[in-house]
Amino acid sequence: MFSLDTTLLAQMETPWAIILPVIVIGLSLVWLLPRGGKGLSRLSQILALALIWGSLFSLTGLGHIAVTDVLFGVFSTGAILGGICMITSRNSAYSALWFAIVTLSVCGLFLLRSAPFLSAATVIVYAGAIIVTFLFVLMLAQQEGTAGYDATSSSPLLTTVFGMVLFGSLILGISSWPKISISAASPATSAAGTEVAKAPAAQGHRYFTSAETEQANAWSRHPEGEVGSLHGLGRSLFGDYLFAVEFAGTLLLVACIGAIAMAPRRSQGTL
Amino acid sequence: MNPLISTLITIGVVLGGVLGGCSYLIWLERKVAAWMQDRVGPNRVGKFGLLQPIADGMKFLLKEDVIPSHVNKVLFLLAPTISVMTTMLALAVVPIGPTTTDSTSWQAMIAPGIDIGIVFIFAVTSLAVYGIILGGWASNNKYSALGSLRASAQVVSYEIPLGMSILGIALLSGSLNLETILQRQAEGGIGSWNIWFQPLAAMIFFTSALAESNRLPFDLPECEQELVGGYHTEYSALKFGMFFLAEYTHVITVSFLMAIMFFGGWNFPWIATPDSHYAGAWIVKFAVLHTKVLACITFVMLLRWTLPRFRFDQLMGLAWKVFIPLSLCNVVCTMFVRQFSLSWWWLLPVSLALVIITGLISMTPSPKRAASPLQH
Repeated sequence: MFSLDTTLLAQMETPWAIILPVIVIGLSLVWLLPRGGKGLSRLSQILALALIWGSLFSLTGLGHIAVTDVLFGVFSTGAILGGICMITSRNSAYSALWFAIVTLSVCGLFLLRSAPFLSAATVIVYAGAIIVTFLFVLMLAQQEGTAGYDATSSSPLLTTVFGMVLFGSLILGISSWPKISISAASPATSAAGTEVAKAPAAQGHRYFTSAETEQANAWSRHPEGEVGSLHGLGRSLFGDYLFAVEFAGTLLLVACIGAIAMAPRRSQGTL
Repeated sequence: MNPLISTLITIGVVLGGVLGGCSYLIWLERKVAAWMQDRVGPNRVGKFGLLQPIADGMKFLLKEDVIPSHVNKVLFLLAPTISVMTTMLALAVVPIGPTTTDSTSWQAMIAPGIDIGIVFIFAVTSLAVYGIILGGWASNNKYSALGSLRASAQVVSYEIPLGMSILGIALLSGSLNLETILQRQAEGGIGSWNIWFQPLAAMIFFTSALAESNRLPFDLPECEQELVGGYHTEYSALKFGMFFLAEYTHVITVSFLMAIMFFGGWNFPWIATPDSHYAGAWIVKFAVLHTKVLACITFVMLLRWTLPRFRFDQLMGLAWKVFIPLSLCNVVCTMFVRQFSLSWWWLLPVSLALVIITGLISMTPSPKRAASPLQH
């Protein structure tokens, strides 16, 4: 089902199959990034985006087509091209809207990985509140069109080179992962309920088996069929990751109180 | 039946029902308005003006489609589309009739068995604000921009009490799935409707949902006296019609949610219980649900001509200083009852006590406010 993420990448022998698309993407990005002046024509913009998309396509090497593959293609294309449009757009309001597209596409990917609650929560928090606040600020600040310093990217060549080095090494790293078959990757409890292989444990990474976590914490026991459901998520958040969740909550509360303390009072003249 | 075909049929039924329903809700709204203001209301087209919605629809379609020259054309056209799309998408997980757990038979909802149910609705409707913001911004007009600025602050604020108010129901039902929530109430009969245990949550949910759909008394984004038409000042013909359609669809969705989450859905003593299997029981259940929904919609319309519009600082104060603390208290009380296995009926007096305490706090004059009468 998810043949495109690891298996086909692992079959690639030569690193040139990775390096070449990465270079093409980088060149297209430099071409696209706004640098003052008149800017690119619509046709060359579309051409550059098509080049990027084609390179990414060659990186994934789409195999047999299933509905989930098509959806994966749609969402990942939306996320990547939306992200590129976000950093290359000359208008900040359009950038915020492309950011919304990126968030929605990533939420679609979450859905495909059977994490519906995470997906819905991300839509509510990011697309529904945070980007709305971005737009709010942008519209207050820039009703007369964008300022010159907002419409240019400050050092397009350097940022693209660094970004592409990071991207290439990431792809190389992922492609060197061992081939994971879905049956081993999905947590399936055996009849005795002893051993669960959640992830590639053979690679030297240490993952807890369910028997071990059960000793530590009875709450993290996952009944059959609960993985990906709301009950499973809640059990995991408030069982496996209780301290992390509580710590993050406390941190946010402290940040909230700090923000209120720093904000000027009405009697001091602002707001 | 092929699930694809049955789903397509359901989508057609829901879409047709909502479009027809919306146009007749507008007729109902005008009749209610006329009745409350001692007028006659629409009475020229057809008997009691019953053909008026069709005439209005034709007018929306045939009027000249004006796009002002100073607007951002892409976003200007995108805005009403987003409004309609998001509100329609929210209807996908609302059961419009009795559903069964039997997966082979036809279900009266587009997407049955969504585990996150109500959270999906919140997620999708939280995107509806983009329609308003983009509409106001793309219009390139001060009134529209002011309207959309108000809307973004209002909708983002009221999402918080809206989401918090249903946490109590999630705790009581052990699920966020609308079918499961309905099923629990239907099995217990009228005594187990959530309204008895979560009256405070019902009030907060209903009020916040009204604010989300920009209905009076929360219609600050489009108030005529101050902002001409707010975010839709520059819109005409079918584009304005789409904003209108989105608002009424939102009201329909909210009314369905009220009926399903708080008033037992299709359940009614004696005539519509899980045990009633007489001929036509499905129709009766369907009718009971839709009567409850219609009652809720009528209540929304009566409210419109009863309450004056809020001032903007009052609006923000209501969300942040009243509803959010109240809904938090409600969640804590519900957790208490669940944790210590107390009788759920404790929640009724506790909710009433919370409302009374809030009222007493708000009536106590604050010394700061009394000192400087200009700073409200």
